[in-house]
Amino acid sequence: MNSQFRGVLKQIVVLLAALVGALLIGAVFLLLAKSDPIKAYGVMFAGPVSDKFGLTETLVRAVPLLLVGLGIVISFRSGIINIGAEGQILAGAIGAAYVGNSFPDMPAILLLPLVFMAGAMSGAVWGGIAGWLKARLAVNEILSTVMLNQIALQLYLFLIRGPLIDPQEVSYGTGVPQTALIPEQIWLSRLIPGTRLHSGLIFALVVAVLVYVFLWRTSTGYRMRAVGAGPEAARYAGINVQWYLVLAMALAGGMAGLAGVVEVTGVHHRALEGISAGYGFSGIVAALFGRLHPLGTIPASILFGALLLGADMMQRAVNIPAAMVMVIQGLVVLFVVSSDYFLKNPSSVANLKVKLFGKKVNGEGGK
Amino acid sequence: MEGVMNSAIIISILATGIRLATPYLLAALGEMFTQRSGVYNLGVEGIMMMGAFAGFFATLHSGSPLMGIVASLLIGALMGLLMALVSVTFKAEQGISGIGLYMLGWGLSGLLYRLYVGGITSIDGLKTIKIPLLSDIPFLGPIIFDQNVLVYTALVLVPLSGFILFKTSWGLNVRAVGNKPEAADTLGVSVERIRYQCLILGGMLAGLAGAFLTIGQANMYADNITAGRGFIAIALVYFGRWSPWGILLGSLLFSMADSFQSMVQVLGINFPYELAVILPYVVTIIALAISFGRVWAPAALGKPFQRGTRG
Amino acid sequence: MKRVLALILAALTLLAFTGCGTNTNKSAETTPATKVEKVRIALVLPATVDDLAWGQSMVEGLKVVQKTMGADKVEIATSEKLGSAVDAGAAIRQYATQGYDIILAHGSQYQSVLMDIAKDFPKTTFAYGSGFATAPNIFAYDPQAQDGGYLLGILAAMTTKSGIVGIIGPVESGDAVKYNYGVQQGVAKGKADVKSRIAYTGSFNDIVGAGNLAKTQMSAGADILTGSSQQAVGAMRAVAETKGNYWLSTDMDQSSIAPDHVLAAQVYRWEKVVTKIIDLRKQGTLGGQHLILSLADGTIELKYNDKLADKIPAEAKAAVEQAKADIISGKLKVELPKK
Repeated sequence: MNSQFRGVLKQIVVLLAALVGALLIGAVFLLLAKSDPIKAYGVMFAGPVSDKFGLTETLVRAVPLLLVGLGIVISFRSGIINIGAEGQILAGAIGAAYVGNSFPDMPAILLLPLVFMAGAMSGAVWGGIAGWLKARLAVNEILSTVMLNQIALQLYLFLIRGPLIDPQEVSYGTGVPQTALIPEQIWLSRLIPGTRLHSGLIFALVVAVLVYVFLWRTSTGYRMRAVGAGPEAARYAGINVQWYLVLAMALAGGMAGLAGVVEVTGVHHRALEGISAGYGFSGIVAALFGRLHPLGTIPASILFGALLLGADMMQRAVNIPAAMVMVIQGLVVLFVVSSDYFLKNPSSVANLKVKLFGKKVNGEGGK
Repeated sequence: MEGVMNSAIIISILATGIRLATPYLLAALGEMFTQRSGVYNLGVEGIMMMGAFAGFFATLHSGSPLMGIVASLLIGALMGLLMALVSVTFKAEQGISGIGLYMLGWGLSGLLYRLYVGGITSIDGLKTIKIPLLSDIPFLGPIIFDQNVLVYTALVLVPLSGFILFKTSWGLNVRAVGNKPEAADTLGVSVERIRYQCLILGGMLAGLAGAFLTIGQANMYADNITAGRGFIAIALVYFGRWSPWGILLGSLLFSMADSFQSMVQVLGINFPYELAVILPYVVTIIALAISFGRVWAPAALGKPFQRGTRG
Repeated sequence: MKRVLALILAALTLLAFTGCGTNTNKSAETTPATKVEKVRIALVLPATVDDLAWGQSMVEGLKVVQKTMGADKVEIATSEKLGSAVDAGAAIRQYATQGYDIILAHGSQYQSVLMDIAKDFPKTTFAYGSGFATAPNIFAYDPQAQDGGYLLGILAAMTTKSGIVGIIGPVESGDAVKYNYGVQQGVAKGKADVKSRIAYTGSFNDIVGAGNLAKTQMSAGADILTGSSQQAVGAMRAVAETKGNYWLSTDMDQSSIAPDHVLAAQVYRWEKVVTKIIDLRKQGTLGGQHLILSLADGTIELKYNDKLADKIPAEAKAAVEQAKADIISGKLKVELPKK
């Protein structure tokens, strides 16, 4: 127990060190942009935690990040790389909006589960296609998910500007590509009045626990992880590898689809342009932050949600170009992913010290 | 639909197709070397954006697209070096490193553009060069031999990279490192050095691909100018099964489909444009799905090399 | 050692690369409010402040307002690249919390977000567009893009030598559809045997794709082209490569990039819209109106490029002016697609 605690502590220390490294490089660019790094970072870190607004907005971003991240955990643990979450979010959003608007008079207790099912299924089908292509036709999933993202985007735009467009947009002649508002009874309740924080947060947290139980406490989950650990060995052990690949991608897609559902029912109340908002990529990073563990992904999503919000607030507070947000994100990802090295190789930190300072420094790795 | 598909139209579709194929071809050939050495670099898109900016910026200030090409190669090499540092030296998960590189490239190119250019500015980019005699060949001449220098470069790089990969000792080392890094290591080939070299080479070609967009096509720069082309290039490496000729075929198929759908729309043939726009993506997936069989990939692709351990 | 060195080297080279050039930071100031009677305006943009289209046209309009009213009377803050409605929502709410008087959410995708936020800030004026739905403190603005498109269509039809007018569309929705539809009708009205051809890239900001589509249009015979959205400059730049081919711009005058190729432009005079919002607010109307930008009240203008005045036949100009008068007088109504 003690050593386990130490392990976690070490991980946190290394992650924080990586974050600091990224911010140091980021400071160079802030200086180039003629703004004060200390003030800028002050806003970035204080903004998301200093008031109700910041905290709730952080969590609003954490919800889709967590759901996408859980899907990424499932797929990566099963040995399949899902870069298609952007498209799967769109599939989930459009499925939810369509079903929601199809039964405007149905009571929430029936309609809400139906809408969640529809969104999850849409995402699962979209993800499952990539899984099936890999399992049956050996089509690399990186290739197919990249392509499927583009296809999903075009189909989504077609649906929200064509068959599913808000009829009012047509009658007023404005033609904005968005669906009609979904019936009010299935708007997720706002947890804190005057903010956008919605009950999707609770849903996502429950799903995170379920995913943990599924992967580590059920035989299906065990087999999926076995496939991820080594498909050859898994096949030798009699596991139907192909089936679990399809299942993994369908589940990953379903999770991303649910992210689309909560964005529709919790935040926008309709399907509109740009709803995926890059969560499909940021979610991958959140999952990695969380060491590909369902429960680790929870704090990771919150941290990353705060980062996204804080960097965006920086734009307004110190007048730097919006592109800086992306620079900082990119640096954080590169540093964090590199920090893995120091976790996996306990001797590496000592070696680094030797390289940097030219003499052997006695100390524990990771401190 | 007046005189729909006459020969001038067909020549235009094919010539456009070759032009459109160039950035894919350049970036994908670079990525092919990278992956052959056992590293997949998903950051191609970010490198392309940096190359696009560097090419634009250098051309804007020097007035010479040649300087733009040099700048894009340099910045591409730097981005490749960064990827190598992260994924080879620090053995980071490659897919995620690539996404980090993509974000960094996107943000940085946008930031630098705003800081040092600011506002839409147009440049005089590369001119098309008619190759004497060859451009007079009926049909083929105007399609292939009336393009700019980067198009020719990309086309020449196809057999050249085939030669380098399969006929030189360096190419042999690259393939060895990508397939059996332990064996290569035992034979005294430095896995890390080869991977560094391939990532830098891949970065340079991706930078060049980006520069083609700004100084060879758009003659200006705008945010997110690559619009997903780097990801398509990666997909085309898989499509082309890590061979230059396969990549050429894939790039041409994809771009010809794109060029064809543009012309179909322009000629007013009634067809929903969304379907037309997704046609190239669908064609690529289908082509790969029906080519069946096990797709051959470098055995150590995606696995960081650690001396003394396996895989 | 080598690796650490490589890292430092990489950082230094990046520094050196970015170190050259001059800073052109020209963002708005955010000095704290000092005196009374100062209007604080916040602008939220889906794309960039310098896109030479929708976003920049509003930025330029605000600059005019600031100049006219006095820099000490108007304060402007801008946030860009907020294509995602979630991020835009945070920005809007933050501006509202900071006490900005008028918040311009300059994108049609912001409607839902505003409806959500505006309730919590009843004293703040919000505005967005294009759109129609309003609330007590939300204005919706709505440029009649089809009107200017119609005039440009007539101009194109009576000026083209090849008899083909090419339209480069982004995504078939919103303002782009209205504009394209207007152009098509204008072309049909201008000259019976001139054809308009329309093709979409499927993206709003792929300037390379728009450029390529323009080249395809030209190789298929079009000699006058037009198109809207951020990507349109890419198409315009492609047109500028061929002597004798021309471009018609919309949202703002794009002739600064291609002075020898932009014949005319539909220009949105946002300063008039913003001034109107400021005045209404002073009178106690915080929102609730559907503000239409039209030729009639001068919020939409047709601007000719003086440098190319001799390229436009006199009868074309006359026909355009006639149609403009008819639209203003209400005699002519440019139809919109009925689904």
